[in-house]
Amino acid sequence: MRARLVLLAVVLVMLVLPFQFGTSALTTATFVVIAAIGATGLNVLTGYAGQISLGHAFFLAAGAYTGAKLGEDLGWSAALWIPAAGVVAGVCGALVGPIALRLSGLYLAIVTLGLVFIGQHVFFNAESLTGGPQGRTFPPVVIGPFDFSAGQVLRLGGLQIDSNGLYYYLALALLAGATAFAWNLRRTRTGRAMVAVREREIAASVMGVDVRRVKIAAFTASAFMAGVSGALYASYLSFAQPGEWSLLLSIQFVAAVIVGGMGTVAGPLLGSAVVFALPTLLKNLPFLPEEAAGGVSVSDLSSIAYGLLIVAFLVLQPRGLVGLVNQPKEAHS
Amino acid sequence: MTEFLQLLFQGVSLGSTYALVALGFAVVYRSSGVINFAQGAMLLLGAYAVSWLAVDVGLSFALAVLAATVMLALAGAALHGLVLRRVVGQPTFVLVMITIGVGIAVTHGVEAAFGPDRRLLGDPWGAAAFEVGGVTINTVKVWGIAVTAAALGAYFAFDRYTRWGLAMQATAADEEATLSVGVPVRRVHACTWALAGALATLGGLFLAGFPGAPQPALGDAALRAFPAIVLGGLGSPVGAVVGGLLIGVVEVLTSGYAPDSLGTNFYAVAPYVAMIAILLVRPYGLFGARPVERV
Amino acid sequence: MRPSILAVAAAAATSLALGACGTGDAGGTSGGSAVQGSIKTGPGVDAGAKTIRVGDLNALSGPAAALGKPVAAGHQAYFEALNARGGIDGWTIELAVEDTGYQPQQHVQAYNALKSDIAILNSFGSPTTKAIQPLFGREKLVTIPASFDSIWGTDPAVAPVGTPYNIDIANALDYATGGGAKKLSVGIIYQNDEYGADGLRGFEAAKQSLGFTDAGHQSYKPGDTDFTAQVQKLKAAGADAVVVTALPSATGPIVGTAATLGFTPQWILQGPSYIEQLITEDGTAGAKPTPVAAALKGAIVTSFSAPWGADEAPGMQQLLADQKQYAPDQTPSIYFALAYSQGIVVEQILRKAIDSGDLSREGILAAKEHLGEVDLGGITPAVTYTPEGGPPSRNTLITEIDPTVPGFLKIVEPAHNSDTADAIEISQ
Repeated sequence: MRARLVLLAVVLVMLVLPFQFGTSALTTATFVVIAAIGATGLNVLTGYAGQISLGHAFFLAAGAYTGAKLGEDLGWSAALWIPAAGVVAGVCGALVGPIALRLSGLYLAIVTLGLVFIGQHVFFNAESLTGGPQGRTFPPVVIGPFDFSAGQVLRLGGLQIDSNGLYYYLALALLAGATAFAWNLRRTRTGRAMVAVREREIAASVMGVDVRRVKIAAFTASAFMAGVSGALYASYLSFAQPGEWSLLLSIQFVAAVIVGGMGTVAGPLLGSAVVFALPTLLKNLPFLPEEAAGGVSVSDLSSIAYGLLIVAFLVLQPRGLVGLVNQPKEAHS
Repeated sequence: MTEFLQLLFQGVSLGSTYALVALGFAVVYRSSGVINFAQGAMLLLGAYAVSWLAVDVGLSFALAVLAATVMLALAGAALHGLVLRRVVGQPTFVLVMITIGVGIAVTHGVEAAFGPDRRLLGDPWGAAAFEVGGVTINTVKVWGIAVTAAALGAYFAFDRYTRWGLAMQATAADEEATLSVGVPVRRVHACTWALAGALATLGGLFLAGFPGAPQPALGDAALRAFPAIVLGGLGSPVGAVVGGLLIGVVEVLTSGYAPDSLGTNFYAVAPYVAMIAILLVRPYGLFGARPVERV
Repeated sequence: MRPSILAVAAAAATSLALGACGTGDAGGTSGGSAVQGSIKTGPGVDAGAKTIRVGDLNALSGPAAALGKPVAAGHQAYFEALNARGGIDGWTIELAVEDTGYQPQQHVQAYNALKSDIAILNSFGSPTTKAIQPLFGREKLVTIPASFDSIWGTDPAVAPVGTPYNIDIANALDYATGGGAKKLSVGIIYQNDEYGADGLRGFEAAKQSLGFTDAGHQSYKPGDTDFTAQVQKLKAAGADAVVVTALPSATGPIVGTAATLGFTPQWILQGPSYIEQLITEDGTAGAKPTPVAAALKGAIVTSFSAPWGADEAPGMQQLLADQKQYAPDQTPSIYFALAYSQGIVVEQILRKAIDSGDLSREGILAAKEHLGEVDLGGITPAVTYTPEGGPPSRNTLITEIDPTVPGFLKIVEPAHNSDTADAIEISQ
């Protein structure tokens, strides 16, 4: 019962948040929620099914460029290109899945690394789709009469919701869907099969788990959510270059899943909040030297912080933030 | 023909630095089952250490290299002692992520400390070169090949003929049994990481040689050495060296001859494409062995 | 249990009601124009405190940092000196600097964060400024780019300084081929974005007009460190001369790699491909030479500002005085000089707008369009802004790299002009 109350409080806070935040904070919050969708997907793949993947950035990119092609070049509504982005990315995931059947552990990690590099190579060279190294614009979300472009304001009763708020609520709704899916998955046979594969793959197959189907399902679901996240992310950015879909981005998602708590339901959102809000937090630290003086750049500091965070959590608290919260409970059990 | 020979020479030069990098990976993997994703950062740190000691502190180049090697060896041992020792027994994924985290922190730490611009390496060779039969041979590259050969020779001698080398082999084969025989396994591990640091310094140093320079992107070279170790098989030092040389030569020859249709900079991904193709056929690399697992 | 849920819900509803009625900043008023006192104001203008905010999107990290930092320092020094002199009729200038690392994506984000608070914008880089071009066009925000792309001549909102890249290359190739007399094979290595594209345009125009053999177009992307492929292909094609439209972080490896491959063409470097630190360790005359300095000797550079300390430039004395006082650590830099002259442009535009009593976006835009000729003290060539637009200049300052002269650039032709360059169309 207490858990339900906490959940309700969290949901209400998240619903009311945009009205309390200024634009800068709201922008950060929106990025966090959009990223959390992708992190939920990675959590299914790595947290549930135990598959090491450094290739998440590739699936995000697949979704983003699908959205760009359908939404901007062809002019489709977002109600179509957002799911389409998920589907295209999901298909990519299903194609990568069988590779995981042959390889495991470190070999899989290195192959997914290769996926990110090969993906970036293709994106840098496919200028008509991606704009080449210069980059391209991405379509704002337009669903029927609702236009999320910058400068648009939606008036509902006495409330005014600007484009940042609109993106935030859309992302929140999609995150809720993704979280519900992940939570439900854990309680189904496929979910339990995933956990079995993670723990002891050979034993699981001996017991009758269809390892092949489970792994492909994990990659597909994970990639689908990454695709949706990527499409929304690029749309919100409105402009992105192929350099964005890099190994560092993949690592940020892995960090988010680890820091939040692998395999947990709340983990992806908590972890995303820490990892993706980090640059903004660091920028606002009082003791940072002035930008113009050429002091340590914010991006360097953020990256150093990511690295140290990953190490700290894995050494000290491998169960992440959720583990921190649950500890008192476990002390009693 | 001279063009081919020229590129071949470049390839062997690059391949020898990759061989050093790959050996660093292989040594660590063999003894602890971890792929050290921080190797690139160690390369970077090694090159910058040499540059800082030779240019800013003013040591003679040979002394700078020696001092930097020692510093990096200590850093490697410190990494093991301070961080990795605490996570013994955790799944491989955790260890890999920790090295990734360390790698990111160190790479950006170096950039924060020294700035994003290229630096002087401080080596005495610079752009010096001589010509042999129409092929331009850079002095720094010749030194690179020579030092690599010496380092590899020293490592294999160490491995074969010294007690510590034997201890490392034993630890790699069966840690518990080795421990029970009285070998100080912890010190062996620290030694392994120190070795990886030393190899990284030498590799980084020559990667930063003309026309390169110490710059933050240097660490990315380690990422290109991955296909080398996978091709050779994760646990085999010989495989790593062969793989490194092969990848270096393939990379430069691809640079020179790849058709434009494959895209700009195809050489950077060619090794990965080859690696994936090979892994699909032989999931444990050309020389790797399928691990036996107790269910 | 139920009362607790009600309590939480009530708390949420109350906070909603008590808080702003809009998300983000939608609840408040946006920075539209207003009339305060006797002058019309707009975003970034505070008539009460008499301050004008100038945006500065710069590259303080990333592949262009070596150029961006002196540019930022130049702006900073100029405006500090200006404020110390009493500002513009008592109005002080506030600089709002953001580092975007030469990434178009970051540039867009930073622009969106800054735009409602600034009256006029400095923007570093061609690909980056191109990415925000539709955005500042919509906002009618006058932008001074640290970029010599030819496309700025066709955009009324942009106040460029310096000769466009394509005209520079056309003039340089005209000079190198003796007006088409020498039959050379020329290739080009260019950065694969807007900056390189403009250099390529000049190359193509020159090829049509001068008729040299094309040894191939090789591209690379910002951040690349290995150029064996590109250089090898140009060498294999037998190029006698190679145009380089790159950043210094690439120029060094490109020329160095060519040297290791035994390839020594006549290098023709686009202005921003060169920086003093390519020749010596820290760009100063007494410092240790870099390994690639020898290979760069004799390279042609299409420079854009007068040599540091040149007596022929009347504005140079003031620049040096301001540099000593406000940026004492600055080493001689053509980028600092460029930024300084951009400061003069900003001051003149704002001065005219103040004199016309209109500091709104429209007012500043009108001031820029009717500014006419602006004397930049000879630091960079004078610019002329008219409603018809067009390139700021069609003359190229052709220099050669010579490690023995100050700034390492020896002037070969102070204002080279050619039919090829004149034939290039740039207007609104």
